[in-house]
Amino acid sequence: MIRTTTPPRPQPPAGEDTPLIFSISRIGNIMYQVTFDPVKRSGMIAANASFVSESDRGEVLDIFRDVIRTGLAVGSYFKVIECGSSFWGITTKEGECVILTPCSITIDGVLLKAGVPVRPTLGGIVQIKKGVPVRFTDIITYEGSTIDPIDVLMSQEIASVTDVIKTGTGSILANLRIVPMYARTRVENVLDSLQSAGFDGVLFVSEPNTDVLGIPIERDHIGIVAIGGTNPVAVVQEQGIPIRTYPLSELVDIGEMEMVV
Amino acid sequence: MTVPDDPQIQRKLIEILRVINERGGAVGARVISDSLKERGYSLGERGVRYHLRILDERGLTEGHGYAGRTITERGRREIEEALVHDRIGFMHARIEEMIYQTDFDLISKSGTVIANITLIKKKDFDDALGILRYLAEHGMDCRIKIIEDGATGSAIAIPEDCIGIATICSITCDGILLKHGIPVNINYGGMLRFDKNQALRYTDLIAYAGTTIDPMKIFISWKATSVLDIVETGDGLLLANVREVPDLARDEASKILDQVVAAGITDYVNIGDPHSPVLGAPVDAGMTGISVSAGLNVIAAIQEVRIAVAVEPVAAVMDYSEFETV
Repeated sequence: MIRTTTPPRPQPPAGEDTPLIFSISRIGNIMYQVTFDPVKRSGMIAANASFVSESDRGEVLDIFRDVIRTGLAVGSYFKVIECGSSFWGITTKEGECVILTPCSITIDGVLLKAGVPVRPTLGGIVQIKKGVPVRFTDIITYEGSTIDPIDVLMSQEIASVTDVIKTGTGSILANLRIVPMYARTRVENVLDSLQSAGFDGVLFVSEPNTDVLGIPIERDHIGIVAIGGTNPVAVVQEQGIPIRTYPLSELVDIGEMEMVV
Repeated sequence: MTVPDDPQIQRKLIEILRVINERGGAVGARVISDSLKERGYSLGERGVRYHLRILDERGLTEGHGYAGRTITERGRREIEEALVHDRIGFMHARIEEMIYQTDFDLISKSGTVIANITLIKKKDFDDALGILRYLAEHGMDCRIKIIEDGATGSAIAIPEDCIGIATICSITCDGILLKHGIPVNINYGGMLRFDKNQALRYTDLIAYAGTTIDPMKIFISWKATSVLDIVETGDGLLLANVREVPDLARDEASKILDQVVAAGITDYVNIGDPHSPVLGAPVDAGMTGISVSAGLNVIAAIQEVRIAVAVEPVAAVMDYSEFETV
């Protein structure tokens, strides 16, 4: 019998009484390790890894570049890891290479290192109409899930990123974090410097004490919606090219990444 | 919707859409106004007409003269997409509505149970049935009801090229516990690792209170189950969910669940120690966690052999006598 079962992701060995780790804690650990300085353009960023077959490599990279140029990625960088080499303790399979792309936790990490108490909240699908984000249509909170919500939502096939690129209307993967409204000026400065460094992934910044694309937020906070780092992967999937994303983001030195211009 | 509405107006518009959708046919403003009142929205006939005009303009409803309004395909989609924050609590509300409606009696083994409904293409049906038989031969019972297309009274519409398979939802257990006066909180859906036919621990969990998409639906489309491996070798991953009951109700719940397993409502139950995690799933202080295997595992097995399935968990309340063992 042919099975479609995918191998479960690595889990630390644990007894039945050890509680599971939820996304919120995984994200906290990753963003703590981000050292990226957008002004110097150096340091570690958070990245997603996607596995593609060597034969699809050219086509996939073209799609990634296109999506990055349209602005539907976290940052204008990528890195290819050749077949046979290992990274993050993963070894690529024969005939397969890996593409690393920036993950939106980079934005959280940079805000954190600028002294902003940033709280990643949830991942979801954002509806876009004529280029303007309208609302979240589905969400999963980081506190409530051990799997990255974006990974879950991709498998639901409810995003239509290709449509957004072609017509400006459709749905994309996005995520939300909140920051205190008092930090607004500093947040804006950090987001500006990120943008200058090619990290153009912020979709929407809310006013204090108002809904963020349909989601009520805590009093005296601002919501920041960023584009999910795996939107390029979603486009590849929508074109019917097999691609799988390693479900955890990890760190990579920005100096090793190639910039898309 | 292109123009963001005032949240209060938006909520009324969606509530009207839900009323029309649940009625099935054309509905007039008076009936809508009455139904809204039952749901706690006070809106007179004139107010309803005003909102209906907005819905018509947006292509979400259609007028049929004196017969009233019907919902459009776009309107149905709008119910699914709008008010994301309301829908995050809606999963719980729906489960509560369903467990309230079940009345399965453990002694007479009769009454209503909660059902999941799965759509399978007609061309795949024989293969799917083959998998269910295979599971039954290997000790995993499947009680199902087959719903043909065009069947009347089905909770979800069965398209012409599809067949519906209803399976008993594990949340039926919570309805039974509730009827015995035990308060239950359903917390997580997850993937449970089995090792040598024993539940070892959860590998992933999604909280019902933290998602707008049913966790079971998520895990099925994530395609990571290995139910067939479990029946063949005793090792693998299956779907299960976690609820908690007060510590004091632990013994009674345990006795009831033994009978629930005997009645074929669920296959595997694990009861945790008082206020400790159950199979790795967090449990609040003062509570006991209970893990129950999902009725959708047989459907997950069908998907494991690459048959496409469209799953609607917690879809309907159905009579236990309608289900047959494969």
